[in-house]
Amino acid sequence: MTGLQHAPLDRTAPVESPAVTTATAVLPPAAVRRGERGSRFLRLFLPLGLYLVFTVVPFYWMLLFALRPAGSTSLLPWPLTLEHFGTVWNDMGFRVYFQNSVWIALLTLLFVTFFALMGGYALARFEFRGRRLFMLALLCTQFVPGAMMLIPLFNIFQTLDLINSRWSLIIAESTFQLPLAMILMSGFVRNVPVELEESAMVDGCGRIRAFLAVVLPLLRPGIVAVGSFAFIGSWNNFLFALMFLNDPELQTVPVGLQTTIGENTVDFGALAAGGVVAAVPVVLVFAVVQKYLVQGMSAGAVKG
Amino acid sequence: MSSMLRTTAAALAALGLLTACSSTGSSTDAGGGAKVTVTYWDNNAGPARTPLFQHLIDEFEKANPNITVKYVGVTSSEVAEKYNTAIASGSTPDVGGVTTALLASLTAQKALAPLDELYAKSPLNGRLAANFLATSKAASGGKGLFQLPSSGNQDVIWYRADKFKAAGLAAPKTWDELFADAARLTDKGANQYGFTIRGGSGAGFQLLSEAYAYSGVAEMFDASGKSTVDDPRNVALIEKIAAQYKATTPEADVSNAYPQMLAQFQANQVMMVHHNLGSTKDVRTALGDKVAGFLLPAGPDGTSVLANPVDGFGLFKNSKHQAEAWKFIEFLDSHASNSYWNENVGQIPANTEAYADEWYAKSGITKEAGDLLNAPGTKLVQPPVHLPQYSKITKTDAEPAFQKVLLGKMSAADFAKGVADALTKAQADYKSKNG
Amino acid sequence: MALADRTTVRPPAAGPPPTGRRGPRLRRALAPYALISPTVLLLAVFLVVPVGSVVHYALQHHVVNEPYDDAFVGLGNFRAMLGDQRFWDSLAFSAKWVVAEVLLQLLLGLALALIVNETFVGRAMARALVFSPWAVSGVLTTSIWMLLYNPATGVFHYLSEIGVGNAGTSVLGNPDTVFGAAVVAELWRGVPFFAILILADLQSVPKELYEAASIDGAGRVRSFLHVTLPHLRDAIVLATLLRSVWEFNNVDLLYTLTNGGPAGATTSLPLYVAQLARKSYDFGYGSALTTAAFVILLFCSVLYLRLSKFGRQR
Repeated sequence: MTGLQHAPLDRTAPVESPAVTTATAVLPPAAVRRGERGSRFLRLFLPLGLYLVFTVVPFYWMLLFALRPAGSTSLLPWPLTLEHFGTVWNDMGFRVYFQNSVWIALLTLLFVTFFALMGGYALARFEFRGRRLFMLALLCTQFVPGAMMLIPLFNIFQTLDLINSRWSLIIAESTFQLPLAMILMSGFVRNVPVELEESAMVDGCGRIRAFLAVVLPLLRPGIVAVGSFAFIGSWNNFLFALMFLNDPELQTVPVGLQTTIGENTVDFGALAAGGVVAAVPVVLVFAVVQKYLVQGMSAGAVKG
Repeated sequence: MSSMLRTTAAALAALGLLTACSSTGSSTDAGGGAKVTVTYWDNNAGPARTPLFQHLIDEFEKANPNITVKYVGVTSSEVAEKYNTAIASGSTPDVGGVTTALLASLTAQKALAPLDELYAKSPLNGRLAANFLATSKAASGGKGLFQLPSSGNQDVIWYRADKFKAAGLAAPKTWDELFADAARLTDKGANQYGFTIRGGSGAGFQLLSEAYAYSGVAEMFDASGKSTVDDPRNVALIEKIAAQYKATTPEADVSNAYPQMLAQFQANQVMMVHHNLGSTKDVRTALGDKVAGFLLPAGPDGTSVLANPVDGFGLFKNSKHQAEAWKFIEFLDSHASNSYWNENVGQIPANTEAYADEWYAKSGITKEAGDLLNAPGTKLVQPPVHLPQYSKITKTDAEPAFQKVLLGKMSAADFAKGVADALTKAQADYKSKNG
Repeated sequence: MALADRTTVRPPAAGPPPTGRRGPRLRRALAPYALISPTVLLLAVFLVVPVGSVVHYALQHHVVNEPYDDAFVGLGNFRAMLGDQRFWDSLAFSAKWVVAEVLLQLLLGLALALIVNETFVGRAMARALVFSPWAVSGVLTTSIWMLLYNPATGVFHYLSEIGVGNAGTSVLGNPDTVFGAAVVAELWRGVPFFAILILADLQSVPKELYEAASIDGAGRVRSFLHVTLPHLRDAIVLATLLRSVWEFNNVDLLYTLTNGGPAGATTSLPLYVAQLARKSYDFGYGSALTTAAFVILLFCSVLYLRLSKFGRQR
């Protein structure tokens, strides 16, 4: 995030020089290691272990219900069954929902990343009239609750004849995600030293070529971060899909998940299996990109 | 701004044409006669019901090759908002599933076409149960027929026949018997409870039908237009129900809606659960012979008063294919279709020809409910679903208040008075606007 | 806002490209506008227009299924709001919810970031695991936690079998426990957000600062207090602000997990609005509450940024 980067060098370290010598300094190395090991357990592995339990148990509970036969109360998903996946994937239409969700999320990713790159570059590299106002507007969008925008948005899409079209979802999602994506991206662009670009331009590149050849490759972590935010946000959206799409053949996974809980029925196996289908793509995407996220978001500070 | 909108619209439409991602267009068939598409919204879609409609639609399309029916399943929790949005933007379907609870809101917004004439001229005329038609008319404010009834969804209490038998109990005939049985069957140590209360979503409807069944009060408003909800006999039942909470029912009741109640029923944790015939198929699938049902028991004076919730179909006024849409509705209410659907769901058919069917004779609780409903002496109480504020009063306002009653933070009398005052006011408001 | 001004942008024009291939001045002046124009267009049509429409409805009596009563009421809805106890209750709940969530998410996220910033075997795996709930949607979070909390399917059932607690425990049904239960479910999904942002920022603390601190004899705690925390300050301010707004506005978890109950104990302001719109069909009053919420949020945010001296050089 832009605001998260710093110019560390202009901040003199506020370290006082205390006359206290810490205990570690006077202990012999072996004792340090032993003490260190014990403290590492208490300081590191114990809390981490506890937190892992907190993270993993809910996932496990979902997998358990998805994989064990209906009516079983075993704490292990054994005997293993894929019947619930068969139910949601084939009978309840998750195969179609899944494809729709993938397409919608990918197109949202594309639009958000592309427009965020354009706007982020403008914000980072140009001083122009209205820039502050624009920035302020972008931030203000974060205060708008999406849920209350449903009916007005519905009317707009109706005017545009986009109700019951996947474009309504892609457009609405892109609109709501762009502001933050653009702020993020401008931070990433700002982290690419402007001198690199200038020297490319000295070498005779136009601005666009300089951007493509020099800036873009350095923006990769930023693009991954912004793109994966867009993908995950779009994949998870429930209300827009519910309201803007009618045809079952256009529906998305979160709406499909809702249909596993009917007024008269509750099929926990199907609910959990649907949940797994909904969670797996984003959790996988996330597991892969999280290291770029961490890198990407911190890269800025390195160069100020 | 509107010219900006138009420009954007044009640009986006062009984009939509370029990519293959746009939605399916209208389906006019170039060869042969023009093909008409009728859109149907199912108001209670789910794994159990959607296939039934898909089967019926296949049959209909076979019989009417020039009509295609597009099925859109909406879950019951979302349907009201979905209809309201569609009405606000003029994008309603041709035909929609409409319950009596939804009807008033739709007719107030003038979304539905009157069906009186169509029904008079239809071969169905005279074949649909009279009290269903009467309920439909009353629910839309008595201004005509806006819903063609297809099915009666009577309240019923499912109970674990096996556990009752093991304890030497028979199905209770009165509310006091029910509470006594509930106490007998409660074993908190074994996490087993005799009864369960709906405290979460839908609590208001359910509580009112219990109260009127007990009290025997047959009018929602007295002669002066005052609501009868706070009648002392209704309050007595509400108090009795509240006294069950945590005594013979699980703690979770206070926030449970039907799916959670059903989950506890299926997990052997509760012995009786109040719902309606709509869940017949689901409880049978889950528990087979171990489950049976009885109708809401009578109160101290021995009379039972029933509400009569009716499912049916509405024809939307904006439909461009009124004739084809009506044809589809007629088909759904024909003897064969109506019988097929109700048999598979377990509700009471609106088409009286189905009463002669073999499945109906053997349907047990469904026939029992149907017979009682159609018996001449049965008193029906009409919940005031014609009031536009009915949903607000019984859901947004009454549900959190009833939860307070269960938690002991409000008295049953105060609760009933609150609901009654709101209904009295809404009724007066309604009368003044509708003469 | 502040974050725009802080990193002074070096305009590329500071040193105009020395080559002769410089475009006309006009083109350069228009370039940024061209670059932001798609976003401006999208925001104008799909965000500004709907917001305008909400403000418009806020001044109307508009109940969807009582169309015959529609009328302009001016500030009538806002006056009604001041006398509506449920509005004040839900606002108070929202405040409590935001403070509890953001504070706990920050503390746990900070601790988690410090832990996974250490070097140990399996760190990559541990990071991927503890961060993963961040990708899960609110609706799915509810599905998962419903399974966990429901007395028929949840953990309490199994815990009671090994003698811990009571099988019938319903944390969502008890007004004393429902707040904690909902907070925990939201923490599950919310902590990773802070952990990731703080971890990213932790990695940007220049090593020399720690070295300097350690030469000066600072222990782990001291160098955390004097090096790490000051470095993280702006990140924390911004993350808590964004997260507060997000936690305030987000309805899907509470709507599906508790539906505001029992007895209104977990009804946040946006949830109250959602119920008004979805069950009472009262769009005029709902819009007024939304508008009020927007103003309250904006006011609190500006206040927070002022008080935290965000972005000021120390």
